[in-house]
Amino acid sequence: MIQAINDILYRIAEEVLEKIAFIFSFPEKDRVPIPFESAVVASVSFSGLFDGVLLMAVSQQVLPELTGNMLGIDMDEETSMEEQHDALKELINVICGNLLPAIAGKQMIFNVETPQVIEASSVSDLEGELAAIAKLSIEDSGHCDILFYVKGEIPEIPPPDMGEE
Amino acid sequence: MSINVLIVDDSGVMRAMILKSMRMGGIPLGEIHQAGNGEEGLAALKEHKVDLVIVDINMPVMNGEEMIDHMHDDPEFQKIPIVVISTEGSEVRQNRLMEKGAVFIQKPFPPKKIRDTLKGILDIGGGK
Repeated sequence: MIQAINDILYRIAEEVLEKIAFIFSFPEKDRVPIPFESAVVASVSFSGLFDGVLLMAVSQQVLPELTGNMLGIDMDEETSMEEQHDALKELINVICGNLLPAIAGKQMIFNVETPQVIEASSVSDLEGELAAIAKLSIEDSGHCDILFYVKGEIPEIPPPDMGEE
Repeated sequence: MSINVLIVDDSGVMRAMILKSMRMGGIPLGEIHQAGNGEEGLAALKEHKVDLVIVDINMPVMNGEEMIDHMHDDPEFQKIPIVVISTEGSEVRQNRLMEKGAVFIQKPFPPKKIRDTLKGILDIGGGK
């Protein structure tokens, strides 16, 4: 089950980055996770069949380009910190919204809270066990980690539909 | 014929992406109004004449479904076409929104999806 969730997380993260931020990403399963201190970190909490938190950490240097792609602005135009945080929050929101039904089925209802950009130091305050992690390379030197924390056990659910959109 | 649009989403980046998709898709846009939640969206509706509402669901203050319910309660807004663009993945919730007359597009969406959907419901042709 955990391996299946990990596969789903990779698939959805890569798909969302490509479709929304127009950025190709590649799995980096063997590297160590990004130190949160060197990244911009966003989190979103959810509740439903199971409760938990999804966390996304992106290298600081790639966030401006990622935001520019989402906004459709020229390479030489700058984006504000607010826009960059907004972009990251939207990305984690879309990943979470697609991840939960892919794991639990489309008949399940989850309540997803408003995403937040958080301080690296507050990551340790998050409740739940790490159930899956996707480690991706983006652009030339950037990295993106997505961590899926679940409080308690994930109940028995039907096999995930790996082929759905 | 140009379409006056209200886009309601708490993400400014997503509002910009939706607007860009509409422009790229050749939707004849008139006035563009934007709001960050359902409450602001209803206020904008009272202030401006709008031909189409595009609304997210998961927003602070007032979510998109509550905004749609308020629109249905007001004869002035009942007939305005509504497109929900959301991450909502539950078919139960998606069906409930469609029963309320909204057309549903799930994020992430290709720009073509916006163009085809809007051209269909606005009857301006040229889609697909």
